Amino acid sequence: MRFDLSAQEEAEELRTWRSKRFRILVCVDGSEESYVGLRFAAEIGRSEECDIILAYVRPADQGLRTGGLQLRVARENMLDWGLELPSVKYLKQGFEILMEAGHMAEEWDAVHTHTDVWGDPLGDNKTEYRHESGKSIVLKLKTAPDVVSGILDQYELGPYNLMTLGEPSRWQGEIHSFWDAGVVQKVAMLSPCSVLVARNGAERTGFLICTDGSEQSFEAARRAAVLAHYCDSPITLFSVTPDHEGQPQAEEVVARAKAMLEDLDIPVAGTVVGVGDPVEQIVEAGAGHGVIVVSDSGKSRLKRFLAGSVAFGVMGRAKTSVLNVR
Amino acid sequence: MRQGGDTPDGARGKIVADISLVADSLRAHPPTGAWLVRARRRGYQRMLVIHTQFNLYYFWEKRWFFLAMALGAFMLTLPLPEDLSRDGMIVLTMSVVATVLFVTEPVPLPTVALLIVVGQILLLGIDSTKVAQSLMTDSVLFIMGSLMLAVAIVKQRLDKRLAWLIVRATGTKTANICFGISVVSGLMASFIGEHTVAAMMLPVGVTLISLTSDDPKKVRNLAAVLLFSICYGASVAGIGTPSGGARNAIMIGYWKEFFYDPGNPETERYLIDYLRWMTFAYPMFLLQLPLVTLVLLFTFKPEYRDLARPVAKLRAQVRREGPMKPGDMVTILFFVLILAAWVFLSADIGMGTIAILGASAFLVAGLVKWEDLNSGVNWGVVLLYAAAISLGVQMKETGAALWVAESFLTLLAPIGADQGFGLWVSVSALTTAVTNTMSNGAAVAVLGPIVLKMATVAGESPIIIGFITAVSSAFAYLTVVGTPACTIVYASGYLKTTDFLNVGWRMVLVSMVVMLAAASVYWPLLGV
Repeated sequence: MRFDLSAQEEAEELRTWRSKRFRILVCVDGSEESYVGLRFAAEIGRSEECDIILAYVRPADQGLRTGGLQLRVARENMLDWGLELPSVKYLKQGFEILMEAGHMAEEWDAVHTHTDVWGDPLGDNKTEYRHESGKSIVLKLKTAPDVVSGILDQYELGPYNLMTLGEPSRWQGEIHSFWDAGVVQKVAMLSPCSVLVARNGAERTGFLICTDGSEQSFEAARRAAVLAHYCDSPITLFSVTPDHEGQPQAEEVVARAKAMLEDLDIPVAGTVVGVGDPVEQIVEAGAGHGVIVVSDSGKSRLKRFLAGSVAFGVMGRAKTSVLNVR
Repeated sequence: MRQGGDTPDGARGKIVADISLVADSLRAHPPTGAWLVRARRRGYQRMLVIHTQFNLYYFWEKRWFFLAMALGAFMLTLPLPEDLSRDGMIVLTMSVVATVLFVTEPVPLPTVALLIVVGQILLLGIDSTKVAQSLMTDSVLFIMGSLMLAVAIVKQRLDKRLAWLIVRATGTKTANICFGISVVSGLMASFIGEHTVAAMMLPVGVTLISLTSDDPKKVRNLAAVLLFSICYGASVAGIGTPSGGARNAIMIGYWKEFFYDPGNPETERYLIDYLRWMTFAYPMFLLQLPLVTLVLLFTFKPEYRDLARPVAKLRAQVRREGPMKPGDMVTILFFVLILAAWVFLSADIGMGTIAILGASAFLVAGLVKWEDLNSGVNWGVVLLYAAAISLGVQMKETGAALWVAESFLTLLAPIGADQGFGLWVSVSALTTAVTNTMSNGAAVAVLGPIVLKMATVAGESPIIIGFITAVSSAFAYLTVVGTPACTIVYASGYLKTTDFLNVGWRMVLVSMVVMLAAASVYWPLLGV
């Protein structure tokens, strides 16, 4: 009983500590785009109040698929040859990107932990680099029955402010996605925190923040603007109207958003109003920007199911990174 | 809240008073909040969160299990069709339910094996000792023994010697090296199984790739060609000999069980021994080998035509190993002895006996530790094949196999596929479809009894139909999980799932043409 209590206290302490940190979960899968997300995280993560958790999720092995020979036999053989397993290679690559970005984690205190999960020999492995100030960088190799549940489990372990994912290979429509969605889409749907779907586009900069005038979208715009300001990125405010009649109203919305940000001393580089289909307009306007900011919390469920969600449409179809603020 | 003036990162994005990243930027929502807070989240989240609150997610996750069980219960309440006994219906139901569970995997697959055993005792009322006895056959012993042998052989680390042999024989041209890798993988896999060879050769392929370039993007096609050479070389070889894969042993077991009658010398031709199988299947495998390399080079055009530099580095690496050690010699000796025993003795003492004898030899000689064998073999697979074969035998005994075979043939009759070439093509297509959704051994275990009965009813040679099924079950080139070799090679991280589709359909086509040619031209020459 006493053990339970102390464990609970410890967990409570950890939670309080974490609530004072800006925590970013970076999911890498070895693709170029997932490292774009990491660079974005590294940009924000220079601040002392920011932790970066780099995670790779490996599906648990199933002996049947390999004809009864466990995959570990092949893996051990690779290690014998001095070859790195892909999972470790991807994490290392990510770590090197953080080094280049000026996070000097190599000299920090390092703690390694290993947990057996899912009866899998590799299990969960974690290396935490911790600075005196409390800032930490974590490399996590996670084993889970499937990638989506692995990432969401990782969220349960500690809340995060932001999650970054690589570009989705497929993105289904609203109804179709109910039973068949790719990893990125599923995580984006289920993640409780804001999600950045990262895409290649090194030469593009700036945030295009979309707002529809609702209370929630203003709130989301404000939070995203703080982040953009933090990264020294120019902010463009954007609103869309289905036809020309709504144009004055949309212009008023962006003007209000601009005023709100300027009250906070956050400069706004420009405002744009688009006319037409929201998803198309946002994707088109966002093509020249580094990040498109959308928010999916301003719509009722029924509306979203019938008309489709703009936020999800943009996440799937945009050519640049998309930040979905929650 | 921080003050703007003295913020440590004041140089970057000046943070104004009362704004901090943590408090005012993106928020970290608590993962488990109050019920009401959670329910307020919109859309999918709301629904899925409620699911977790009531633990409906468990039922959702296991939905296929419950659907399969419901399907089983429904089938058992149906009125019996003519010429199908009650027991036959039960066995048929069990097979259908097991197949659904194999494909959808809602529960760990060995569970299905356990349920099959329980089902035979409770539903069919067979004595439990009898069921237990029906689980262990020579085919199952063989599957178990050859898995242990696989681990033992991989652990000997002869792969560097093999790599050395390959590059010495092929020179440095990419195309030649690919062909060399396919040939060596194939020749070995035909005797000791594709998973063994894939696990052994994977480091060879990855080493060559990583020595060529550190940047995976520059060697994407080269990586695909080299790695697919390993896995497809091994996959097409799996049909070469009975010891090439579990499915071959299972088919041999079925032929004996279904057609061999000790009192009738006429039926002795259904006892297929090691050499006889090889005369049927080995030429097919040899014919396919060059086609594998051609298809691969045609599909992926490798970025480098010559691998002189990585090969030189690989040579230096191998040279560091020094000369052959006594242990290596003993391993090769054991290997040759086991092969010889399979070829010459398996008709008398059984393939399984030789496999477990070989595994014991490795243990006695101290070349491998039991702990390694124990952790390297997935014993659930042995259990699964045992149960699947025992169910297959029940399919025959209760007449369910015959009934399904007859119904199938009636279905195929209108398109003229109830005999001859048409039947061959449909059996092959059926097997290919099934094997792409589950492990090939399980596919043969499930389909074997049905297709063999189809052959008898249609007046075709059960041997040809049996071979077509066993061989087609190797055509799982389309998915990562189709064949063991593909799954192992995929673990290297260099391949994408779409690569398998890209090249897989070409391989299916090539293999099917080769097999149908063999079935119509070559096999009849052997007198079946």
